[in-house]
Amino acid sequence: MGLKVISLMKQVPLFSQMRMGEDGLMDRTKAKSMINVDCCFGLEQGLQIKKYVPDAELIVVSMGPPSFDQSLRQAISLGFDRAILLSDRRLGGSDTFSTGLALATLLRSKILPADPHTPYIIFAGRQTSDGDTAHVPSQVAENLGIAQVTFAVSVDYAPAHLVVRRMIEGGHQTLKVPMPCVVSVAPTAIHVRRPSLAGAIKARQVSIEAYNLDQIGLDPASVGLNGSPTSVAKVVNITRNRPPVSMINGNTAEELAGNLAKTFDIAASLHAAAAPEAVSAPGAAETPRQDRFPRKDFRNGASGIFTWAEVVATELALSSIEILNPARKLADELKTTVTSVLIGDHVAGLAPRLIAHGADEVIVVEDSRLKEYSILPFTSVIEQIVKERHPEISLFGATTSGRELAPRLGSRLGAGVTADCTILKVGEFVQPSSKTIWSPCLEAIRPTYGESKLATIVGFRCPQMATARPGTFEASQPDLSRQGKITPFVPQLNDSLFAVEILSTERKEAGDEGLFSASVIVTGGRPCGELDDFKLIKELVEALEEKGISAAWGATRQAVDHGYAPYSRQIGQTGKTVRPKLYIAVAISGAIQHVSGMKESGRIIAINQDRQSHMFNCADYGVVGDYLQTLPALIRRVKSGFTFGLKA
Amino acid sequence: MHMPVVETDVLVVGGGPAGLAFAIHYADMARRHNEDASQTVKIPDRVMVLEKASAAGNHTLSGAVINPSALRELLPDLDAKDFPFETAVVRDDTMIFTKDGAFELPFSPPYMSNKGNYVVMLGKLVRWLAEIAEKKNVQVFSGFSARELVFENGQLAGIRTGATGIDHQGNPMANYQPPTEVRAKLVILAEGPRGSLTRDLIKALDLAKGRNPQVYSLGVKELWEIPEGAFEKGRIVHSLGYPLGIDQFGGGFIYGVTKTLVAIGVVAGLDIADPSFDTQRALQIYKNHPFVSRIIKDGKLLRYGAKTIPEGGLFALPQLYHDKVMIVGDAAGFLAMPSLKGVDSSMRSGMLAARAACDALKANDASASRLSLYEKLFKASPIYKELYPVRNFRQAFKANLLLGAFQFGTQLVTGGRGLSASGRLTMAEDRAHCRPMRTSQAKASAAAGSCAAGFSVDKETAIFFSGTKHDEEQPSHIQVPSAAVCDECIRTYGGPCQHFCPAQVFEISADPKTGKKSLKLHPSNCVHCKTCDIRDPYGNVIWQTPYGGDGPEYENM
Repeated sequence: MGLKVISLMKQVPLFSQMRMGEDGLMDRTKAKSMINVDCCFGLEQGLQIKKYVPDAELIVVSMGPPSFDQSLRQAISLGFDRAILLSDRRLGGSDTFSTGLALATLLRSKILPADPHTPYIIFAGRQTSDGDTAHVPSQVAENLGIAQVTFAVSVDYAPAHLVVRRMIEGGHQTLKVPMPCVVSVAPTAIHVRRPSLAGAIKARQVSIEAYNLDQIGLDPASVGLNGSPTSVAKVVNITRNRPPVSMINGNTAEELAGNLAKTFDIAASLHAAAAPEAVSAPGAAETPRQDRFPRKDFRNGASGIFTWAEVVATELALSSIEILNPARKLADELKTTVTSVLIGDHVAGLAPRLIAHGADEVIVVEDSRLKEYSILPFTSVIEQIVKERHPEISLFGATTSGRELAPRLGSRLGAGVTADCTILKVGEFVQPSSKTIWSPCLEAIRPTYGESKLATIVGFRCPQMATARPGTFEASQPDLSRQGKITPFVPQLNDSLFAVEILSTERKEAGDEGLFSASVIVTGGRPCGELDDFKLIKELVEALEEKGISAAWGATRQAVDHGYAPYSRQIGQTGKTVRPKLYIAVAISGAIQHVSGMKESGRIIAINQDRQSHMFNCADYGVVGDYLQTLPALIRRVKSGFTFGLKA
Repeated sequence: MHMPVVETDVLVVGGGPAGLAFAIHYADMARRHNEDASQTVKIPDRVMVLEKASAAGNHTLSGAVINPSALRELLPDLDAKDFPFETAVVRDDTMIFTKDGAFELPFSPPYMSNKGNYVVMLGKLVRWLAEIAEKKNVQVFSGFSARELVFENGQLAGIRTGATGIDHQGNPMANYQPPTEVRAKLVILAEGPRGSLTRDLIKALDLAKGRNPQVYSLGVKELWEIPEGAFEKGRIVHSLGYPLGIDQFGGGFIYGVTKTLVAIGVVAGLDIADPSFDTQRALQIYKNHPFVSRIIKDGKLLRYGAKTIPEGGLFALPQLYHDKVMIVGDAAGFLAMPSLKGVDSSMRSGMLAARAACDALKANDASASRLSLYEKLFKASPIYKELYPVRNFRQAFKANLLLGAFQFGTQLVTGGRGLSASGRLTMAEDRAHCRPMRTSQAKASAAAGSCAAGFSVDKETAIFFSGTKHDEEQPSHIQVPSAAVCDECIRTYGGPCQHFCPAQVFEISADPKTGKKSLKLHPSNCVHCKTCDIRDPYGNVIWQTPYGGDGPEYENM
């Protein structure tokens, strides 16, 4: 029997066709469905293995209603050999924890080789467009007890191991990963192939293997609404009506840039302007207090707020400083303490900074083997600490590390994780089914469905875990006089935790992935190519980066078509869809194709010579002027400290 | 990677009205025959339909007002009430438009009566036909485009789909997928107007020998949502005149599709002399005519699309069959121009071909001589009866509308012969008419006037409303083989492609440094109307199918 290569896949509705029903739940029935975009990259990566191992068996696996048949057949048409669906009504309402458990159980009972040492590979997409958590691959890996890599951008196969390049904060890392393993693939890897007609013919004839919970031997109580450690408490629409554009006045480029800077100062910081608190959440206060139910505390003695202090190279990650802000507020409200877990090699010196930003205690773990973050040892270390301390809440920055570490840890601890939160607060949850008010609980609130909804997620198992979207919470001002405790911790570390070998780590290299994570995107239209080959666009990006603002440059289709920029930089309907905090459109006409790829950006500045340009209709701030003059003036402003209200 | 080969009995290229009518009729006849125990020889019944649109009907565009008679014959077991028609035609006006006014013709021109006809969304009808075909075990594969013909010993043996996963330079990428070869006992070309394989077949086998070249119009259409009461459901208006010039063949149409949907379009001959004529622009001007703007003033644009219409009529039909192949529908050109209706005759041609196909495959003989039954059936059919009296209609209008009207008048009197002694008015290809005429310095036509105001949408926005999408990572499906010819065309005519293309595939831009004008292609804008392949004055544009599933998403056009 050849190597088994499994790709996990989900079918998702097209956003544009989804409507929220009267009940506040998404009505997917009327929307057309498609294979989740990221999953396509996972499928393709599976297909690529066939080049190395021609007799590999390619298996596509999904969990969902029978209508997923359509996408499973599509995978067959691409070249998969088998298609397997786990389908059971009792799975309805499963969160990522339960989904990971159910998929792992299916894999183990029906697909994976009986001998645990036989190698196999599981690919998955980075995340789904409807759930958006990126949790499931990590949770499948944890449930199977195998190694994992997430955010992979390239995969090379060698017998017995894979060499995977993954995105990390500000760069890339190359890992040697033993098989079996789970690899989740970023949407910058190899684009999915088109089905061949021969494949499509085969797809019509193949039979899809379908299983229910009983057939895979999974207790229905451990999945679905009741088995999931988290539940969706509420979903509200985010209505984002962009106010009419404010045109910036000024006679010279210098004046225009100055007035633009002034406008930003007046409008306070972007943080405040775009902070999710500003989004009204109707219904929050409307829920009648069901006092007839008794209040119950589910924490069972767990107390304290944990945060993971991520170290990037030798510095604390900004996101780890940021989460101390909500952590502090939660701790004060719950009358408890904040404990940061700091792991690395010679990192104790960073502890005082965590205390200055709000930690009461820092648990320091130092070991030369922990110099670079790696999922298996870090999960184990935090697990050991959590089991000793029993925190009630545990918070992580939603970085490329935090977004795999938290769900893996959650699955290990039996706790639910809410991904990518923008609001964290203390609340309570009325559960009519158990006639209980659970209180107090962490209300983890996050945008979902392509940023069109705001979902409140609660969980009743400790620690209640969440990852926080970097840049959402403002880092608090450091108070150097704060006192705190620094506690060393020596974990048990066995060699098997270091099975994944880090071959190289490169930081500070500009990849196109930057477009997905940048706070600022500066995009140029065709004139920017014709007139200065995007020189000024790139200079503005560099100036912002020098000030510690993550920035990237993009191009319109016209500019790409004319060869001034690679396709990977194209923003718009047929390029990338981006949602940075600030979008600067330079010499762009505002064609609908372009606008549809950036209209969800936080703030939009349009710079164009033509006052009639449609781009101004889509912008918050408009500058009429020749970019060859306005951009240099703006770059000078940035160099002297103006960062559009964004904080480094 | 090796190329997979699959086999079927009958392969239909194109899942439009003609191809699906063929498939349904063939499947019905084969089943009836094969179920008859007394028949010892069975008819091979595997039928495969390849459709390049992502789903059946997504590349379908028509007015559309149709005569339901072919559909009734195709599906005799169904109640006509269940056909997916929007409405019967309740009012039928023909008008003359001037710049600001509209005058009703006191009489309905002959051949233009729409009594008993229906307004339909052709995409919806095609989707419905595809479902029926599938229920009859026809294998409809949407999202796959036939890229080239496969010949064996001089005979057509099948087709090949295009390879995918190829970069702009033509090199295979990591996600390369080889073509699939489909081999069939019989191939039906039902690609619609100016099908790329039909074009190649006609050339390879010289099937247009002794015929008039096909001539075309380009129709552009927008679907608008309007408040109830703005335009009557089932009312249809055809207009002549503004914004088209007196030297132009064509006109406008406004069809009340539902109470809140109206289809508005302009159809104009691709034989116009003015190289800067732009049909999409003409439609924008048309929409700002007081008669039209009143209808859409509180409306919303929903969809935009464009398609060519074969208008050459009887004498422009190529030979309809050859060994192992037949051509049906608009790919051949059965449209009867004066009545502006082609759906019915296209479907009928498919049904006639199905009869010939059953006869041939039962005898295991798909030779040209056996398939000539198709032409015999055609000559005895209602389509022929409709086409024959108007056989010289479009040719008469070739030069100019007024003279054409006079000539057509004489044709009415002489039973279609007109003033030509031979009984056949001859004509040249469309592109031949773009050449001896005005150069770019000449006065532009009315449609080149300003249309910035009102209800106009520029091409870039219009393309968005066509829903068109192409994988950007593929070799251009539109080839301009000779750069030198392209330069000459820009010098002589100012680059007509940038005007005639309704989807801004062609852009002529000047190098900011040298000032030299050159052509830049945007093939991913393409709406698959094939105007470029027809109208380029030097024949220097070759349209081929891009990746299957690419192109517009018309849905209900």
